[in-house]
Amino acid sequence: MTSHLGVMILFAACVSLVFGTLLRETPREELRLASRIFIGMVGGAYLVGWIMFLMF
Amino acid sequence: MSRTSRSTVRAEKTATAAVASPVNPLVVGVLAWTVPGAGHLLQGHFRKAVTFFVVLGAMFAIGLAFGGRLFPFQLGEPLVFLAAVAEWTIAVPRVVAGLAGLGGGNVVSVTYEYGNTFLIVSGLLNALVLFDALDRATGRKPR
Repeated sequence: MTSHLGVMILFAACVSLVFGTLLRETPREELRLASRIFIGMVGGAYLVGWIMFLMF
Repeated sequence: MSRTSRSTVRAEKTATAAVASPVNPLVVGVLAWTVPGAGHLLQGHFRKAVTFFVVLGAMFAIGLAFGGRLFPFQLGEPLVFLAAVAEWTIAVPRVVAGLAGLGGGNVVSVTYEYGNTFLIVSGLLNALVLFDALDRATGRKPR
């Protein structure tokens, strides 16, 4: 895989899964936190990408 | 909340937190360092152990597949040294990859830096997993 977006999504999925499992105790809470971290990472990268694209 | 009930709640929290694992924290620490999730498995957290093993193992494998490099300990190159420390925080995959001759680092590959990132971050995440297992073993974190 050489797509920047694909690699970023893969990375965000792995990291968010580990943090979700680490910081919560029940599967439901773990999945919820992991989803929030994942959305934050991918959404944040998209946002920063657009800001850089429009400004520089 | 009255002072008595507040102190009761605090005492209950302390009592809950003080329940240490019957397993020796040193054994937990060494196992968690060598194999991702082994420290949690030893303490009965099967689901967490499997998640850590699969995800961190996959991250390390992806890092190698992307052409990432297994960094040597070079004191003259501080960043290389730190990358080596991070990669050695996930011991067994690092040793196995080294023995298998993987991780030479394909500098011209498009995914070279991604590979390094996956390798380094898998080690750093395993350090967090290790500390979590130790906290549970010593009773600092409720089991």
